[in-house]
Amino acid sequence: MKKVLGVALGVLTAIGGFVDMGDLVANAETGARFDMNLAWVVIVGVIGIVVYAEMSGRVAALCGRPVFDLVRERLGPRFGMANLLASFFINMLTLTAEIAGVALSLSLVSSVNYLFLIPFVAFLVWLVCWRMSFVMMERIFGLLGLCLVVFAVTVWKIGPDWNQLFSDAAHPHVPHSETVFTYAYFGIALFGAAMTPYEVFFFSSGAVEDGWTRKDLGENKINVLIGFPLGAALSLAIMASTHLLLAPRHISVDQLSQVALPVASAVGRLGLAVVIIGIFAATFGAALETSLSAGYVVAQYLGWPWGKHSAPRTASRFHVVVMMSIIAAALFGLTGVDPVKVTEYSIVLSAAALPLTYFPILVIANDPRYVGPEHTNGRFLNAVASVYLVILVLVAIATIPLMIITKGGS
Amino acid sequence: MPSATHPRSRGIGHVERRRPRRAAALATLTIVAMLAAGCSEHSVGPARTYDDYERKSRTSAEVALSAVETVRLLAETSTDGNAWGAYTSVSLSEQEDTLAATEGDFASIQPPDHRSDDLRATLLELLGAASDHIAAVRIEARRGNLGSLADAAVPLAADSAALQQFLVSIER
Repeated sequence: MKKVLGVALGVLTAIGGFVDMGDLVANAETGARFDMNLAWVVIVGVIGIVVYAEMSGRVAALCGRPVFDLVRERLGPRFGMANLLASFFINMLTLTAEIAGVALSLSLVSSVNYLFLIPFVAFLVWLVCWRMSFVMMERIFGLLGLCLVVFAVTVWKIGPDWNQLFSDAAHPHVPHSETVFTYAYFGIALFGAAMTPYEVFFFSSGAVEDGWTRKDLGENKINVLIGFPLGAALSLAIMASTHLLLAPRHISVDQLSQVALPVASAVGRLGLAVVIIGIFAATFGAALETSLSAGYVVAQYLGWPWGKHSAPRTASRFHVVVMMSIIAAALFGLTGVDPVKVTEYSIVLSAAALPLTYFPILVIANDPRYVGPEHTNGRFLNAVASVYLVILVLVAIATIPLMIITKGGS
Repeated sequence: MPSATHPRSRGIGHVERRRPRRAAALATLTIVAMLAAGCSEHSVGPARTYDDYERKSRTSAEVALSAVETVRLLAETSTDGNAWGAYTSVSLSEQEDTLAATEGDFASIQPPDHRSDDLRATLLELLGAASDHIAAVRIEARRGNLGSLADAAVPLAADSAALQQFLVSIER
């Protein structure tokens, strides 16, 4: 019974922790602008993250070492360094977006300008990273993130023509008011939001922090196979809510407050309170994950002691990187950059760097020296993962030209 | 000891190794600069032809229409008792800022010819009216009169219709 509860809790945490600032913005924006015509990208993205997160969790459970730790060893210091630089830069952008997202959600209940709240949020993120246990941190924010289920309630309350909604999603096309380029650009943004690199760094490092072993392989599979797709269903609910309520009014989503507007309008004050708690939890949880991921990638590449399971005295450099990353992200946020734009760029650039993150996972998950001969990828998994690798490369090649052609999707 | 003329000497090798690094550094700087420019809230490029100017006016009108409609929906939601003061007030301010920035950005673009002057005058009038009406809703919200926001937002219906008509007129 205890085991079942533990697995259920893990699945719920995976669902609640799936959505972050990137998913909130990308799904709300595309729903309002492209209706359900890009829903298929969320499905393609979640299959990709399921495939690769399962591999990275398996590698971590079997070797007791996270993916980034193995990249340098298996693929050499140069590839590792390229991976480190790209991942760290994108992770910093994501961290800035998440911290700003927390500040924005707090400003919606306090009326205080979000810029004044950024230093407070940054301190809170550092404090939680420093003091709270890993399991507690994961559970609290993952479970609170489940408040975002209110988007599904919103869609139900709006009472759409379900057949029409599913038909729209199943027959995608480029809307008349858009070009193929903007359609592709926002498709890449959604794909990047679903497959953000920090998710696998955090997932595999978290598996080591949680002390996963061979016995936890089943739980890894259940978390990933059930939790992530249900998390993606939340993303689709966000998209559907803005499609149904904002698109007919010609409203485009440029602010985080607009993401919550369909909920307030359809569900009322209680719904608004729940969605703001959900947005707070989703962005705060992701801010913790990206802060720790900054420390993980640097410490693992350089071979320093790392992790919250190590005492700060023994992993001092890891904790310094985490702290400095939070400070740098907060300072960047305080320059007054548009948080929604930072989010958009972070997810689009994530897409450009995806092969650097996912290629090593595929290599290591096929290497019997790391996972043992009985736990390497099967033929079917390798076929799916290889198809995704081709998609990732194509996406990476197309990202920057599309960013220039569409002037950042405008 | 390597000589200066040897291909693997420090001098030649040094230069060859540095080139790709410089290129990588330049590429990184370019991306960072692009990001910094793209993430700033207001970035406007020049309009050299009427078509360019018309495209920018369309984008500005679309942003304004979105702000006007957001405020109308917010006003409706608050009047129905579905949103609290802080949320409404912050959201209204954001839309007011967005519209003000759009108006300022569009006004700062040099119209390339006389045809563009007409377009400029028409759109700026619409943006100005919408700004005033959104400010009126924001003032009501800050005074705590959430129940009467829908009344304060009534003039925005005409702004919305005018902006939609403007968009249709430049589509032709």
